[in-house]
Amino acid sequence: MSLKKKLLRMKPGVKEEEKTIPQEPEDVDKFKELGFYPFYLDGDISYRRKVLYPFTEENNLKASLEKLKNIWKMDEAAHPLHFSKEVGNLLFFDTETTGLSTGAGTMIFLIGYARVLEEGIEVTQHFLTGPEQEAAFMGGFLDDFSEEDIIVSYNGKSFDWPQVKSRHAFLRRELPKLPEAGHIDLLHAARRFWKNELPSCRLAVVEEHKLLIKRHNDTPGSLAPLLYFDYVHSKDPFPLKGIIDHHEQDVISLVRLYILLAEKACTYAEHTSAAEHEAAAHWWESLKQWERAEHHWRLADKLADKPSSQRLYRMALNLRKQNKVVKAITILESLQAAKYPHAEAMEELAKYYENTEKNLDKALKAVETGLTSAAPEKTVLKLRKRRDRIRTKKEKTR
Amino acid sequence: MIRKKVLSELIGELKQDPQIEHWHEIPEMEAKSTSFPENLDPKIIKALQHRGINSLYTHQRSAYEAVKRKENVVAVTPTASGKTLCYNLPVIDKFFQNSNARALYLFPTKALAQDQKTELNDLVDEMEADLKSYTYDGDTPANIRQVVRKAGHIVITNPDMLHSAILPHHTKWISLFENLETVVIDELHTYRGVFGSHVANVIRRLKRLCNYYGSNPAFICTSATIQNPKELAEDLLGEKVTLIDNNGAPRGKKHIAFYNPPIVHQQLNIRKSATKVVNELASRFLREKIQTIVFARSRVRVEIILSHLQELIKDEYIKRSIRGYRGGYLPNQRRDIERSLRNGETIGVVSTNALELGVDIGQLQVCVMSGYPGSIASSWQQAGRAGRRQDESLVIMVASSTPLDQYVFSHPEFFFSGSPESARINKDNLIILSDHIKCAAYELPFRKGESFDDLGAEEVEELLDYLTEMRVLHQRAEKWYWMNDAFPAHNISLRSAAQENVVIIDQSDVASHKVIGEMNTFSALTLLHDEAIYLHEGIQHQVEYLDWDEKKAFVRKVDVDYFTDANLAVKLTVLEIDKEKEVKDAVIQYGDVMVTAMATIFKKIKLDSFENIGSGPIHLPEQELHTNGMMIEFADHMFQELGEDEVEQVLLGLAHTLQHVASVHVMCDKQDIHAVPEVKSVHAELPTLYLYDKYPGGIGLAERIYAQSSIVMEKALHFVWNCPCEGGCPSCTGIPGSEDRKEKAWVLKLLSYLTEEENL
Repeated sequence: MSLKKKLLRMKPGVKEEEKTIPQEPEDVDKFKELGFYPFYLDGDISYRRKVLYPFTEENNLKASLEKLKNIWKMDEAAHPLHFSKEVGNLLFFDTETTGLSTGAGTMIFLIGYARVLEEGIEVTQHFLTGPEQEAAFMGGFLDDFSEEDIIVSYNGKSFDWPQVKSRHAFLRRELPKLPEAGHIDLLHAARRFWKNELPSCRLAVVEEHKLLIKRHNDTPGSLAPLLYFDYVHSKDPFPLKGIIDHHEQDVISLVRLYILLAEKACTYAEHTSAAEHEAAAHWWESLKQWERAEHHWRLADKLADKPSSQRLYRMALNLRKQNKVVKAITILESLQAAKYPHAEAMEELAKYYENTEKNLDKALKAVETGLTSAAPEKTVLKLRKRRDRIRTKKEKTR
Repeated sequence: MIRKKVLSELIGELKQDPQIEHWHEIPEMEAKSTSFPENLDPKIIKALQHRGINSLYTHQRSAYEAVKRKENVVAVTPTASGKTLCYNLPVIDKFFQNSNARALYLFPTKALAQDQKTELNDLVDEMEADLKSYTYDGDTPANIRQVVRKAGHIVITNPDMLHSAILPHHTKWISLFENLETVVIDELHTYRGVFGSHVANVIRRLKRLCNYYGSNPAFICTSATIQNPKELAEDLLGEKVTLIDNNGAPRGKKHIAFYNPPIVHQQLNIRKSATKVVNELASRFLREKIQTIVFARSRVRVEIILSHLQELIKDEYIKRSIRGYRGGYLPNQRRDIERSLRNGETIGVVSTNALELGVDIGQLQVCVMSGYPGSIASSWQQAGRAGRRQDESLVIMVASSTPLDQYVFSHPEFFFSGSPESARINKDNLIILSDHIKCAAYELPFRKGESFDDLGAEEVEELLDYLTEMRVLHQRAEKWYWMNDAFPAHNISLRSAAQENVVIIDQSDVASHKVIGEMNTFSALTLLHDEAIYLHEGIQHQVEYLDWDEKKAFVRKVDVDYFTDANLAVKLTVLEIDKEKEVKDAVIQYGDVMVTAMATIFKKIKLDSFENIGSGPIHLPEQELHTNGMMIEFADHMFQELGEDEVEQVLLGLAHTLQHVASVHVMCDKQDIHAVPEVKSVHAELPTLYLYDKYPGGIGLAERIYAQSSIVMEKALHFVWNCPCEGGCPSCTGIPGSEDRKEKAWVLKLLSYLTEEENL
């Protein structure tokens, strides 16, 4: 019995698929229909499509990016969204792959990126016509990519780029070195701003709610691998049109998404909500930029429809960090009078009374106010400890 | 005050015990040492001397020299003979010659890997060398993984991680693969059967990638005593291997006692419970503060023996210094127990075979085994736990009434004749092979004409064609590319025999359902059907719902006084006969068989009286298993005087005996091989006994039994003959004899019929 026959018998239920006879039509024409043109590199063929989408008067993304570039220039601390090169060096980047795992058997079959030029957005897409053409395909991309470029992606730091590196590792003898370019991953930024607001931070969800893009008759991305496998067998790229167009839309969305997020983070743009200002403030604080954060806290407070003791507490902490003690204490004292006092704020206030003002009575009162509020156990324990210590201190001084 | 008795006195007393069936003494042996090799780096010598090592044992030096000659080696070393130096020495030496050299260490379990890392680091620290070793397993934090990939000189891991995390992501490990000089495989003997066959294919994949990255590592293996270490290593590695077995480590005098508990029911041949006897024996030594290890067969047994021992011993201090050790304990707890055993704080330990592997616990004085551990090799490993370098030690094996134990006890020569089991793998098992070809194609496209290590290009191509037709691969320009969105390594487990397992979910606690185990689909038919009583660690659970499509069994704890017994209608179809031999009028064949099994009904049987108190139907689809099997076909006239029912009883008895004896003979688990009788076989309409591998595609067990059928039959004959029962008992033919006690006589008749001819 042949191995094949044996295997078929051991795995009942799996039928031999009917062989599809690959037709060999003129590839070129089929691809031209999709807007892809052959591209020759060292004798190998690869297909790419380059489209320029001119700006309209009211929507000049180049101008927005130039503005951001100038603002970033003035920043001393490097914000994760910042860039210092030319706008044309931003490479809004995405890939489509044959699977979701990042192992050696997953291939990239579509690389796409947008550059913002003077006259409009230029989108380039490279298509892998077959696994044996990978060197030409990757070569086509590398030809267009330099160390000066900055990749802007959505989840590219943990998915797309490692995948590019892995594919490149296979071809490292045939290809130039992979440049060590900068990388801005917008997923992290989107999570910071919208984690609590959106049901998920998938690009499609963000597009729908934040860029107000609604897609009709869209091919779901999860079908991409299967459609590609079908293409490899049938050699007919047309069923992939939906995937390719979607992918093009994705990289264009990245441009708009970057501008939106960067404006929220580094300007005081009107489209920024109270919650987003808070997120921006947190982000700057994590970079130890207290003053930038303070502005966002203030704007958040102004825009919010109701006051929040948590926000005031954070603002007070921020002010303390900047040594604006009086302002900070004023806020904390206002919180002490609130109906539901903020426990951690009371601890902070007590610290100040105890250590700086050396007023044990006031400190004790602050602690006790804090203990009347609902607080996490950890805070309650800390407050109790402090209360006991202040009481002992008071005993001693008596 | 009563003087404490010393070990030698207790040994003297035990010798007089009438239940001792066999007493064996292994004389002491002096150490055989040699000097350090001249070309060994002085830094290494200094570090070793600092640790009190001034010379090497002969086997350590032989291993070093063989590796120097660029040979692959397998070192066979008993417990505590300094086996780690057999590989650490050459690996560290290579590092001093070339600081880029990398090594990969494979240990069968995570715990062993941790142990080794500590030991290795201690040695390296003494040398002040910049040699970095890391463990890489499921617990390694993500930020450390990066470092390990880029900079680990020695990466310590297990075959499962190599299979599912390292090989499929090889592009992240380029510096390891490009500079890999040595691969160390510890505890080689554990890689047998299905697991070993998988691992052999993982090694094929490893070698394929090394070849791609331009390295050609040497392999250093260590193994406990088995009959065929060299053969196993060569099979596993697909390369020539040099055997190192000139063990030079010293050894004290060792006594081995076979203790058979007294018979308490003469007719049924039932003996006193082995657990009770083990408790009594172990407490004798523990009371005198003699360090003792007790091996039990299961986790539950460990707990039972432990609590009994603590009851039997009154001394509070000793009571506290008896501990359990088994899987399921947390790693920290285990480390603590190991440490306290080494420094003598813990006097007694009750363990499962978890302590059989090379975990360092120092050496104890007495080892008590509750039952024969199932193979000679693991018996010797357990026995090796007793015996300090120079002192006298004692090993007691206590038999239970299972046929296996009684067989071993009636044949001590089988145990001591110095031929432990051989370990087999079948890496070309089609199911296993095609799984790994998939993984390999995922890792790197196959070129036309490429072989898969020692598997020829022609066979590889046939498999690739098959996978191409299945639309897993795609052929283009003389290469086969992976064209599927799956990650094949995740669906292939190295450890499980069946491809798909039924997960057992305990829903006793409504708030948190818990997975308590898994079972292969074939066994699940009869053990996990709706309403079955399933025992897990001694606790009764009832199956409330078996979701066959999703392969989930939902169970709940119950307390009932019955168990369930399902009828499995098994049909065997012979697909192809590969080999055949005649023994008088009987025919023994070997070939491909198809086993179809369907669970039909189950019975509820009362625990104490064995009354049938109810039954119900089972609605589960028929299962198919295509495997290799051996058939023994008897001529009709041999049974002339018996009715059909009687023939069935006789064949059942023969099946029971052969299944046990054969599994001992080929060193496999009882569950790996199955014996089924048919009064009228489908293909020849003759009384037939089938023995088949219980794994799709077969793993070579039936083939081996066929090849040595005369020896197996003879062993079975002697075993049944020597069983003291009258008409058959659970220890030999599996069923208590009927009143006229024909079965045993008939089983003997058949076995002698099958053996005598061969002797002519």
